[in-house]
Amino acid sequence: MLLLDYQNVLIQSLLTERFSGATPASIDQVVSDFDGVTFHLSTPESKTKILISINVKCFKELVQYGAQQVLEREYGPYIVTPEPGYDFSVQVDLENLPAEEEAREELIMKLALLKRNAMAAPFERAFDEFTKLAEEASQYTSESAPQGVKEGGDVMAIHYREEEAIYIKASWDRVTVIFSTVFREETDRIFGKVFLQEFVDARRRVVTLQNAPQVLFRSDPPLELEGVPGLKNTGEGEISYVTFVLFPRHLTPQRRYENISHIQTFRDYFHYHIKASKAYIHTRMRKRTADFLQVLNRARPENEERERKTASGRTFRVQS
Amino acid sequence: MSQSLRPYLQCCRSSLTAALAISNFASQTSERHNVPEIEAKSSPELILNPITISRNEHEKLYIEPSVNSVRISLSIKQADEIEKVLVHKFTRFLQQRAESFFILRRKPVKGYDISFLVTNYHTEHLLKHQLVEFIITFMEEVDKEVSEMKLFLNARARFVAESFLTPFD
Repeated sequence: MLLLDYQNVLIQSLLTERFSGATPASIDQVVSDFDGVTFHLSTPESKTKILISINVKCFKELVQYGAQQVLEREYGPYIVTPEPGYDFSVQVDLENLPAEEEAREELIMKLALLKRNAMAAPFERAFDEFTKLAEEASQYTSESAPQGVKEGGDVMAIHYREEEAIYIKASWDRVTVIFSTVFREETDRIFGKVFLQEFVDARRRVVTLQNAPQVLFRSDPPLELEGVPGLKNTGEGEISYVTFVLFPRHLTPQRRYENISHIQTFRDYFHYHIKASKAYIHTRMRKRTADFLQVLNRARPENEERERKTASGRTFRVQS
Repeated sequence: MSQSLRPYLQCCRSSLTAALAISNFASQTSERHNVPEIEAKSSPELILNPITISRNEHEKLYIEPSVNSVRISLSIKQADEIEKVLVHKFTRFLQQRAESFFILRRKPVKGYDISFLVTNYHTEHLLKHQLVEFIITFMEEVDKEVSEMKLFLNARARFVAESFLTPFD
């Protein structure tokens, strides 16, 4: 349970149950996922036709970066017109499932990854742009490259939460992914700093992580984001910017799929572990408090006012 | 135990034992009242001279004796931001449970992290040397606990960061 799953487990288990040949039943369920994403699973027409709709806060932005094409590629034959109130819908017919067990499982997985696929669009686009820029750049030496190639593509912003965003920028030798994250509370801020520092240091410290993406963090907007609208700098360290620098070896077609899925989970993973540490520290304090109480209770005198007896069993009382 | 901690704790122990010589004393200002004089501060002649025992500028014990009550305040070592948060969290956690720690004060004296108030009723019903023992144990344990929590946090952060970055390889 250290790393988070990429798929939505609730959708996965629900569909696995339905696909396994159980008697069709009507479903009407709203499922929430990270980052304010909601799913709606329902059977509006008949019990065998399951409609899965997704609502993403930043869907408009995602469409701008080519989400529609990515989703069409992934879900082609299943796409239906979006349900009102949702951004994107697919429908599966239980009477018309792939025959083989494996293909079914693949379909379930694919549907459970709906959020991941919707969010993947800007990443894919940046990775493609990188390939294109790298090719262009290979024709020049580093000095003679025209400005456009040297600087790289535009910054793509995805405002996937109320106050937090992901920025992606491709250039000829790397893709930069920047997460902005907000800490409301002092404790979270400090815990976050400890965690982020370890992310930064991990690459330097561990030999096996030499190939991992470089991680940087700072509390004012990094230079890559210069001129991007809507950036806030409160100056109180509430907002942190975490930069991942993905190098060409992370962007190869073989590694692409995994890496896109993985980097998407960063924010949730990071916050999840901060909360988990806080919970652990809380239980620790509880235990320690109990220990202190025990020490203090030693101060209570034992057996006050016990009835005293003589050897023969007769009791006696002090006459007052 | 480090070289400077032992004499510090020894000094705290003897000073506390001496300060806890308190007796019942009814209020002089209002009839049929019996309040801890160190809190009420109704007459100056009932308050004795306070003592500060400090190991360094961050770790110190402040004892304010009076005729029927003693207030003991403790300042806990906080080397950095993390320790500050952890100490704050821990003392707050304890103070919320002040009811069961009968000598714990709900609010610390200004400038200190945690305070205790021992009245003559406490010393009458409880064993005095054990009360002193409790405060000394508390002083020892609280430092240990905070540094352990800090170590845990760092270890966890390290582990978490490494496991996140490993799949990229």
